[in-house]
Amino acid sequence: MTPLGKNEALDRHALVMACWLAAAMPAAILFEYGFGRGGTPYILAGFAAILAGFVAHVIVNVVYGTGFSPRELGLGLVIYGLALVLFVVLSLVSASFAAHNFLPLSIGFITTGAVVVFYLITRYGARQAFAAFDVIRDFRSRSPGDHI
Amino acid sequence: MTPLLVSVLGIVAVLGLYLATISGRHTQQPGDFVDAGLALPPWVTIFAGAGITLASLSLPDHLLLLATFGLQYNQVAVGLICIALCAAITQKRVWLAARLTSLRTLGDLLGDYFGSTTLRIYLLLVLFLFSIPFAAMCLSQAGALVSAATANDVPSGLAIWSIAFVLFLCSVIGGWRGIAYLVAAQSLLVLALMVFFGGFTGFTLDKLAFAVNGIGTASGVLPDKIPGVIQFSAGIGKELPAGGLWTTFAGLTFALSLGGIAISPGFSFLGVTSAPRRGLAFGQVWMIAGLAAGTLILIGPVLAAEIAASGSLTAFTTRLATLDPMVAVGFTLLLVASSQIAVAFFAGSGASVCTIELTSRYIIPGMDQRSTRFAARVTLALVYGAVAAVASFAPLSATIFSSLTLSLSMQLLPAVLGLCWVRWISRSGVLAGLIVGSLCVVFTESFGLVLFERLFVDLPWGRWPLSVHSAGWGLATNFTACLLVSLFTRSSAERDRRDRLHDAFEESQPARNGSQAATTAKWALTLLWAFFALGPGAILGNTFFSEPIFAGTVVASGVPSLLIWQVLFWFVGVFIVWWLAYQGRLSVIDERPRHRIVLVPEVNPLFEPVSTPWIARLLDRVTGR
Repeated sequence: MTPLGKNEALDRHALVMACWLAAAMPAAILFEYGFGRGGTPYILAGFAAILAGFVAHVIVNVVYGTGFSPRELGLGLVIYGLALVLFVVLSLVSASFAAHNFLPLSIGFITTGAVVVFYLITRYGARQAFAAFDVIRDFRSRSPGDHI
Repeated sequence: MTPLLVSVLGIVAVLGLYLATISGRHTQQPGDFVDAGLALPPWVTIFAGAGITLASLSLPDHLLLLATFGLQYNQVAVGLICIALCAAITQKRVWLAARLTSLRTLGDLLGDYFGSTTLRIYLLLVLFLFSIPFAAMCLSQAGALVSAATANDVPSGLAIWSIAFVLFLCSVIGGWRGIAYLVAAQSLLVLALMVFFGGFTGFTLDKLAFAVNGIGTASGVLPDKIPGVIQFSAGIGKELPAGGLWTTFAGLTFALSLGGIAISPGFSFLGVTSAPRRGLAFGQVWMIAGLAAGTLILIGPVLAAEIAASGSLTAFTTRLATLDPMVAVGFTLLLVASSQIAVAFFAGSGASVCTIELTSRYIIPGMDQRSTRFAARVTLALVYGAVAAVASFAPLSATIFSSLTLSLSMQLLPAVLGLCWVRWISRSGVLAGLIVGSLCVVFTESFGLVLFERLFVDLPWGRWPLSVHSAGWGLATNFTACLLVSLFTRSSAERDRRDRLHDAFEESQPARNGSQAATTAKWALTLLWAFFALGPGAILGNTFFSEPIFAGTVVASGVPSLLIWQVLFWFVGVFIVWWLAYQGRLSVIDERPRHRIVLVPEVNPLFEPVSTPWIARLLDRVTGR
C-alpha cells in the first residue's frame, strides 16, 4: 500500500463520510420504526443498512488502496461497544424491551461482529488479524526501557 | 416532529460544515478556492452528476406532477437518459478543450473558440438564471417543505434564510471543493433515500395505491396513457390539451430541455474541474441513465400514487408520521436535500464561474490568487443574499424566470456541438441560431407571454403551443438558422482557430468510431430509441403490452402497459449510453493531452483594439455625448 497524497486522503475521507451518511439515515429510520410498530424484520433491516455502509467503506478502501485508519477503527469499536452496552443495560432494565427486541438485536450484533471478523480474516489472514488485537504480545515485545 | 426534523437537518448541516472545513484547511493554493485545483476526485463527478440531475427536475415538483398527470408524465423520467446522452456527447470534449487551452469555463472556451463576446454574455445570462432564479425557486420549495412538515413551527422565511446561511457558510469556508463534496454527499443521500422509500412504502403501507387503483389523477386526465402524439391546442393559458398535457411531443421536447443541464455552465464547470479517467463514463451510464432515471421511473409512480391518494404532499407526510415521526422526517429530508443540492451547486458554481469569467477578466483583471479568493467569497455572499431574498419575497418571479433556464441553456447546443465535434459551425451561424432560438423560447414561455400581453396585445398562442415545450420550438428554429448560416459562412476568417482546436482533438484523443457499419448502427439505434422511447413511437406503449396487436385479446398484466414500455426503453437507453460512452470512447479519457494550444493570441494594444468593437462603439456613443 502506498501512502495517499494530501488531496487523495481528503477525497477518501469525504467519500467515507458520504457513504456513512447515506447508510446511517435509512438505518436510523429502520431502527426507530423497528423498535416501534415494525418489529423484528425492520430491526434486522437496520443492521443490514449498517452492514451496507461497512461494505461501502471496504469498497472505498479497495479503490484507494488503503485499510481502515486507526481513528476509524477506534470510532467503530467505540460505537459498537457503546451500542452493545446500551443493549445489555436496556435488556436488564426493561423487560418489555427485552421481550420485543432481544432476539433481533442479538442476531444483529452477532452478525455485525461476524462480518467484521470475516473481513479481517479475508483481508489479513487469521494469524495477522489476531495479531492486530494481541495486546499482551505487543506489550511483551517492548523492551523494559521503552516508554509508552 | 419539529425537534426531530430540526435535529436531523442540523446533523446534515454539521456534516456539510465539517466537509467544508477539512477541504478549506487542505487547500494548497488560495487560487484553488475557485476551481479546486482542477482536481476534483471522480466520485464527486459520479455522485454529484446524478444528484444534480434529480435536483434540477425538482423532486417535489416531479412527484406532484406525476400525481397530477399519472404515467404520461413518467416519460420525463425516461428523458433523464437524454441528459446522459448529451453529457456523453459533450463532456469529455469540453474537458479536453479546457486542458488543451488552459481555460477553465465553458464561457471562456466558447468565447475564445468562436471569438465572440456576445456568446460570453449569453453564457453569463444563462449562468445568472441558474444561480439566482432557479436556485431561489428550489430554496423557496425547501422552505415551504420544512414549514409544512413542522406545521409552521418553523416558518418558511426562517427555514429559507437558515438553509441559505448554512450553505453559504459551507461554500465560503470550503470553496469549490467543499461545495462539490457537500453536493456529492447529499446526492448519495438522496439516491439512497429514494431507493429506501420505494421499498419501505411497499412493505409498510397496507395496500399500495398504485397496485390497487393506479395513480388517481384529476378527471379528464388519462392516468396511464399518453394523450396522443401531438395535440393542436393553443397552449397552456389559452387551451388545455384533452386527456392531459404530456403528449409524446411534449415528453420529447421536455426531455430535450433536460439536456440543457448537461451543457449548463455549472455542470460543465464540474466536469472541467474534475480529474477523471473513467469517472465521466461511470457517472453518465450507471448513475444518471441507470440509477437516477431508474429510481424515478420505478419508484416515482409508487410515491406519486400515494400522494394522489392522500390529497397532497403534506397530507402524505402526515400519513407517514402516523407510522413513525422518523419516517416522515426521512421523507422530508429526501425532498429538502434534493433542493439543497440545487441551491448549493448552482449558487456555488455560479459564484466561481462569475469570478473567473466576469470579475477577474473584466472588472479587476490581473488579480493575484488571494484577491481572486476574496472576490469569489464576495460573489458567494452576493449570490446567496440574492437567492435568499428572491426565495423569501418573490418566489413567483423566481418560478417564472426559472422556467426559461433549461430551455435557454439548451439553445447552446449548436455552439457546444461546434466546439466539440463540428468544425464548420461558424460564429455567425451560432449567433443567428441563438437569437432566433432564444426568441422562440421566450415567446413560448410564461415570461415572454405575460410581458408581451401586458405591454402590447394578446397573442393567439399560450405556453407550449401544440403541446411542444419551449425548448423544442427554440431548438428547431435555432438549428435551422445555425445550419443555414453556417453553410454560407463555414470558411470565414475565424476558421483557422476552430481547426486548430479540432486538429488538437484528433492528435490527443481521436474519436474511435470503429467500422462505418458500427458507427451507423450506433447512431441509428440512438435515433430509433429516441423515436420509440420519447418520440411519436411512444404512443404504442399505451396498449402494446395490454392489448397486443396480433393477439386480439386483452392481457391483464397487472401493471399498466405504458409503465412496462417505459421500463423496457429505460434498459435499452442505459445500453445505448453504455455503448456510446464506453465502447465508443465518447466519455473515457485515455490520457491527458501533452501539449497546449493558444486559441486567441495575446492582443497587442498598440495595434489592435482591446475591447470588442461593438462594445467599444456602444461606449463611445454613451461617453461621447
